[in-house]
Amino acid sequence: MCGGRGSRAGPLPGAGIGTLARPLKRLQRKVSGGCGGGSSRGLLSHHPAGDSTSGLVVEGRERGLILLFYLVFYGFLAALFSFTMWAMLQTLNDEVPKYRDQIPSPGLMVFPKPVTALDYSFRVSDPESYRGYVDDLTKFLKSYDLEEQKNLTACPDGALREQKGPTYTACQFPVVSLKGCSGVEDPEFGYSTGNPCILVKMNRIIGLKPQGKPRINCISKGEKTATLSTYPSNGTIDLKYFPYYGKKLHVRYLQPLVAVQVAFNTTSTGKEVTVECKIDGSPNLRNQDDRDKFLGRVVFKITMHA
Amino acid sequence: MYSCLDLSGHVVLFELGQLYPGITMEFGKTRGRVTPQELNPSSGPKPKRVPKMVGRRKKEKVKRKKNKANIEELKKEVVMDDHKLTLEELSRRYSVDLTKGLRPEKAQEILDRDGPNTLTPPPTTPEWVKFCKQLFGGFSILLWTGAILCFVAYGIQTYFNEEPTKDNLYLGIVLAVVVFITGCFSYYQEAKSSKIMESFKSMVPQQALVIRGGEKMQINVQNVVVGDLVEVKGGDRIPADIRLISAQGCKVDNSSLTGESEPQSRFPHFTHENLLETRNICFFSTNCVEGTARGIVIATGDSTVMGRIASLTSGLAVGQTPIATEIKHFIHIITMVAVFLGVSFFGLSLMLGYSWLKAVIFLIGIIVANVPEGLLVTVTVCLTLTAKRMAKKNCLVKNLEAVETLGSTSIICSDKTGTLTQNRMTVAHLWFDKTTYEADTSEEQTVNTFAKDSDTWFILARIAGLCNRADFKPDQETLPIAKRATTGDASESALLKFIEQSYSSVKEMREKSPKVAEIPFNSTNKYQISIHLREDSSQTHVLLMKGAPERILAFCSSYLLNGQEYSMDEEMKEAFQNAYLELGGLGERVLGFCFLNLPNTFSKGFKFNTDEVNFPMENFCFVGLISMIDPPRPAVPEAVCKCRSAGIKVIMVTGDHPITAKAIAKGVGIISEGTETAEDTTAQLKVHVRQIDSRDVKAIVVHGSDLKDMSSAQLDEILRNYTEIVFARTSPQQKLIIVEGCQRQGNVVAATGDGVNDSPALKKADIGIAMGITGSDVSKQAADMILLDDNFASIVTGVEEGRLIFDNLKKSIAYTLTSNIPEITPFLLFIILGIPLPLGTITILCIDLGTDMVPAISLAYESAESDIMKRAPRDPKNDKLVNYRLIGMAYGQIGMIQALAGFFTYFVILAENGFKPADLLGIRHDWENSYVNDLEDSYGQQWTFEQRKILEFTCQTGFFVSIVIVQWADLIICKTRRNSVFQQGMKNKILIFGILEETFLAAFLCYTPGMDMALRMYPLKIFWWLCAIPYSILIFIYDEVRKFAIRNHPGGWLERETYY
Repeated sequence: MCGGRGSRAGPLPGAGIGTLARPLKRLQRKVSGGCGGGSSRGLLSHHPAGDSTSGLVVEGRERGLILLFYLVFYGFLAALFSFTMWAMLQTLNDEVPKYRDQIPSPGLMVFPKPVTALDYSFRVSDPESYRGYVDDLTKFLKSYDLEEQKNLTACPDGALREQKGPTYTACQFPVVSLKGCSGVEDPEFGYSTGNPCILVKMNRIIGLKPQGKPRINCISKGEKTATLSTYPSNGTIDLKYFPYYGKKLHVRYLQPLVAVQVAFNTTSTGKEVTVECKIDGSPNLRNQDDRDKFLGRVVFKITMHA
Repeated sequence: MYSCLDLSGHVVLFELGQLYPGITMEFGKTRGRVTPQELNPSSGPKPKRVPKMVGRRKKEKVKRKKNKANIEELKKEVVMDDHKLTLEELSRRYSVDLTKGLRPEKAQEILDRDGPNTLTPPPTTPEWVKFCKQLFGGFSILLWTGAILCFVAYGIQTYFNEEPTKDNLYLGIVLAVVVFITGCFSYYQEAKSSKIMESFKSMVPQQALVIRGGEKMQINVQNVVVGDLVEVKGGDRIPADIRLISAQGCKVDNSSLTGESEPQSRFPHFTHENLLETRNICFFSTNCVEGTARGIVIATGDSTVMGRIASLTSGLAVGQTPIATEIKHFIHIITMVAVFLGVSFFGLSLMLGYSWLKAVIFLIGIIVANVPEGLLVTVTVCLTLTAKRMAKKNCLVKNLEAVETLGSTSIICSDKTGTLTQNRMTVAHLWFDKTTYEADTSEEQTVNTFAKDSDTWFILARIAGLCNRADFKPDQETLPIAKRATTGDASESALLKFIEQSYSSVKEMREKSPKVAEIPFNSTNKYQISIHLREDSSQTHVLLMKGAPERILAFCSSYLLNGQEYSMDEEMKEAFQNAYLELGGLGERVLGFCFLNLPNTFSKGFKFNTDEVNFPMENFCFVGLISMIDPPRPAVPEAVCKCRSAGIKVIMVTGDHPITAKAIAKGVGIISEGTETAEDTTAQLKVHVRQIDSRDVKAIVVHGSDLKDMSSAQLDEILRNYTEIVFARTSPQQKLIIVEGCQRQGNVVAATGDGVNDSPALKKADIGIAMGITGSDVSKQAADMILLDDNFASIVTGVEEGRLIFDNLKKSIAYTLTSNIPEITPFLLFIILGIPLPLGTITILCIDLGTDMVPAISLAYESAESDIMKRAPRDPKNDKLVNYRLIGMAYGQIGMIQALAGFFTYFVILAENGFKPADLLGIRHDWENSYVNDLEDSYGQQWTFEQRKILEFTCQTGFFVSIVIVQWADLIICKTRRNSVFQQGMKNKILIFGILEETFLAAFLCYTPGMDMALRMYPLKIFWWLCAIPYSILIFIYDEVRKFAIRNHPGGWLERETYY
C-alpha cells in the first residue's frame, strides 16, 4: 500500500532547471499518496466510543437495555440448565442409583449419635448427664417397637433373603435379642446402673450381600478396665437382613443392630474405656482402611464419673 | 598573534569523515557529586568567577531528593559568558598564564576543591531494589495480598481450631511461590537485557595534554581542572569545556552533543551569543576531528554542558508505562469485584446464620478466589515472548513493560541523522548541460541508470575524480563500492564513490593524469584546485577546480554544453542561479566544477607554485554542479507512511539546518507533498511564525531559536495545530521540552536519539529509543529500548508488535478471567445453598496454574485480526486493557455458561451415585461433619464421611474437567474479538497445542494412580467428561452469533456493550 522509494531516476526529459522539482514531487506524491493524503483520521477503525455517552436519557436507556439483555440471557441459561438437569434426572432409576461403586463396603456407626466426638461421658448420679443418650437411643429404637414390627415378616435365620419383587418385604428384628440394651427392661439403657449400652449398626448399602457369617466384634483397647458384653450373643448379624433393596422398594426395612454393654471392673480405679468394634467373619466386608476410620469398624470411648 | 584560518563562519564545505563517539563516562571512585553549576538566567550582571560558585556549591551536599526547581533550571539554556571574554579577561578570570598554564600546585588546589573531572554516574539502582521491584510491583501486589489473606484465614482457623483443613495455608504458599518465581523470571529477563547493555560500554581511560607551569604533560582526564591550559589535536576527545585561545585548522565533531553531524571549525573568536553556537568553545567529550587548538578549561565534570545534560537526565522523574497504568486499572476492577462479592456474601452468610468467624473465613475465601493466580505469569510470559520477537527485529527492549508502550505511541519524536538518514553523504543530483539529473541514493546503489553519453559528463566526472583528495582504504575490492571505507571528508568520499561507480576507476584516472600541484580547500577561498597532466597529450597540463558554486562561477568566462564550450551569458548565469537555489533549497550541499586547459607555456616540468600563484586563475570553463545529501534510509518513507496510516505523528527534531531538515522531512514524508510550511510563508510575508493563521498550514518547521522564546502554551498550540512538524537547530534541552509538550497533550511519546543531548528526552519520553550502533552509552542508559540497526523502520515493526501484544493480552486476560466465575460460584453456592463444595482450592489452582496456562500464553501468538497499522493509536483514557465490557463478557456471560457446565457435571456425578439435587440443599452441615458416618442418600444408603468425601472430590474432578472442556470453546472464541473463527482460521499452532496440552494434563491429573493421595483427584467415568460438551458448544455458538451481530451492525448496541 505504501509507495516505494523510487528515488532512482534516469535523466529527466526536457532541459532546464524548472524540471528539477518534478521528480522530487513525484517521489513525495508516491509517499504521501500511498497513505491517503496524510490524513489518518478517516482511516481510524470502528472503535466503540469508549465509555462516553451523552445525556442521561441515553444512558438510562442503555442501562435498561443491559439489564434486559442480562435478564433474557440468564433466563435462557436458567431454562437451558433446568432442561439439561431434567433430562439427566429422567435417566435416573428411582429405585437403585446408577453407580454403587463408591460404597462397596459398609461403614459402622454407633448410637447414641455422636455429635462432636466419639466420646461418651456421663455421671451415674446425675441423670441429666445421660438424658441425651437415653433419649437418642429411645428415639432410635422407636422403629424397632414391637408394635411397629407387627406387619413385618418373620424371616428364617441364617440365609440371605433375596427377593424378586414386585413387592419387597422387610424382616422383623426382635429387639429382645438386645437383652439389657433393648430398652424394654431398662428404659435407661444401663446408664443409671453404670453399665451403659451403645448400639452398633452397619450402614445400609443397596444390594450388599455379606459372605460368611458376619458379626460385630468389640474389644476394649488398652488396659482391661471393663468387660464388654455384646447382644445378640457373639455380636452376630443375621444374613436374613440382606440384601437391602433401597428406600423406595424396601419400605420399613430394619437394620440389624448389635449392642455393646460395658461393665467396669470394680477393682479398676479409672472408669474409662476405649472400645473398638469391627465387622468380622465376612471376607467381603472390609474392616481396615488407612483413611476411612469408619469402614467396617468404629472406635469410641466411654468415661463414667462416679 | 593567534592565527586562525577559518574566519568566515560560513557553511563549511569540506571536512573529515564523521565520527560518532560514544561517551565514555569515567566514574570516579569517589562518588562525590558535583552540583551543576548555578545558572544565571537573566542577562544581567555577568557572574564573576564561575568556578568559585561551583566550589561553594559543592560544600552544600546535595540531598537525595531532586530539587524540582533545580531540574527546571537545568532544562533552560546554558548561560555562560566565557566565550564573550577577551583573552585578557579570560586570563584574569581564571588567573592563569595563557602560555604557561596553571602552576601545578594551584592545579592541585583546584582539583581538591572541585573534585575530579568526571561525570557523576547516574544513581544506579541496587540489584536487590530492582529485584524487589519485580517482586512487589504491579500485578504482584494483588497476589501478595491474596497470599497474606490466606495466611490470615489459616491463622484464624488454627487459632480458633475451626476446621482441620489446610487449604488456605497451601493456597497462600502457592500464591507466594508463584509471585516469587514470576518475579525471579522477569528479573532474569531484564538482567539479561541489561547485560547486553553492559557490552556496549567502553571504558577506555582518556589522557589529556595540559600545560602547567610552562611544561607540557599528559595527565588523566579526570585530573584536568578549571583554568588549565590544554592542547587538543585531531583525534582527541575534548577533556573539558574549553574556551579556545588559539587554533590551527581545528575542527570538532559535536554530534554527540548537538546531533549535528558535520564537523565544525573552531577558532578563538567570539561568533555567537549562544554558547553552543559560538566557535570558540569546545565541549567536554566531543571529538576534535582535525587540526590543533589550545584553550583554557572553563568547566569540568558535572558543570560542563555535557555534565549538565547528564545530571538533567538522571534527575528526571519518569512516568508510569501505559501497561503499568493498565494493570493498575485492572487491579482496581478485580479488587472492586472481589470486595463487592466478598462483602455481600459476608452479609449473606451472617444472615444465613453462620458464625462471625465462619463468615470472615468466607469473606477472605471469596476475595482470594477472585485473584487470577495464573495471570501474572501469563502477562509476563506474553510480554517476554514479544520482547524476544522484537529483539529479533532489531528492537532490544530493556524494560519488559516498554514492549507495549511502543504500541500505544501516538507521537514519535525522531532524530534525523542516522535514524531517518543513512548518515552518509551521497551524490544526489548533478546539473550540467542545463539539465538536472538525479542520482541513485538508495543504500545498495546497485543499478545506475545514469546517462553517460554527454561529453560534459566525462569532463565533470574527471574533475570530480581528480580534484579530490579522498581515497579508498586498501583491501576492499570485494566490497560493493558504497560500502567501502574511505579516507577524506564526507563530500569528497561521496564524489569518489559516485565517480567510481558511475564513471570509471578513479585510481586508473589518477594514474593516467598524475597530480602536479594542488591548492587544498580552505574556508577563506572556498575552492580547491589541482593541476594534472593531461591524459591525451602528456605534455600539457589541465587545471581542475571545485568549490562553492558562486565562487566557481566567478572564475569562469565560458561554459560547457554537450561538450562544446560557449562563452558565459546572462541566460546561463540565470540557469545556474536557479539550479543552485533549487538544489540548495533541497537541503543539499552543492559544489561547482570548472577547468582550464593550461596553455603550452605550462608544459611538462613547469614548476607550479601554489603559494605565489604562477598560473592563470581566470577564464575558466564552467562544467556543472554536483549536489550531495545524507539521503534518507530506503525503508524510512514507507515506515513514516505506515506510522501515518497508523495515526502516529512523526515529529523530526534535529540540530541540523532547517533547510536540510525540511528537505529530508519531505523526502521521507514527514512533511507530505504539497504541504506549505509556515516557514515558507513567513519568509514570503516577513511575519513571525506565530502570526500565521495556523489553520491554513499543516506543516511547520520550527527553528530552535524561536522555540527558545516560546511559552509552553505556544508550543502546545503548535503541537496541537500542525500535523507535520519539524524542529530544526534545536539545542539539547529543547528536545526534552518538545517531548514534555507532546505529553501534556495526553500523547504517548516515543523519542529516538543517539547523542548525550538526547538522553533527557529519552528518559522523559514514555519510551526512549536509543541507537545501538551510533548511540552514546548515556543515551542507551536513559532509553527503554535500543534499535540495534539504528533504523527508523524498525520502530514501526516495534509499534506493530506492541499493538498486537496489547490486543492479544486482552484476549489472554479475557480467557483467563472467564474461568474465574466457575471457580468462585461453587464456593458461593456452597455457602448459600449448603451443598457439598463443588470445586476445591487445589482444583482451582490446577486450572489457574495448570491447564489454563499454556492456552492463555498461546494467545500471544495469535495473529492480528485486521491491519492493526491502519487504526489510530490506542486512546489511553478510553481504550483500556481491561474494561467493564471485558469483565462483563468474561464474568457475566461466558463465565456463567462455564459455571453451569461445571455444576451440571457436579450434579450428574452426585445424582448418579445416589444424591439427587433436591436432597443436597442444606446437606452441608452433616456432610462436613466427620462424626456423621451414616449420612443417608436419596436411595436410603448410608455413607461414611470418607466415602462421601471421595465422592465429593470426584465431583470436584468432574467440575475441573468440565472447566477444561468449556475452556476449549473459550479459547477458540477468545482468538478473535470481532472476526469469526472461520475468518481467522486455526493457524495458531501453539494454540492447538495448548488445547491438546490442557486436555492431556486434565486426563493425567484425573487418571494417574496416586493423584487421589497427592491432589485428591479421582478417576472419572468417560460419560462425565461429556456432560460439559453441550455447554462448550453453546459458548461457541453464542459468541459466534454475538460477533456476527457486531460485524453486521458496527457501532450497534451489542458492540458498545460487549466489544472489549
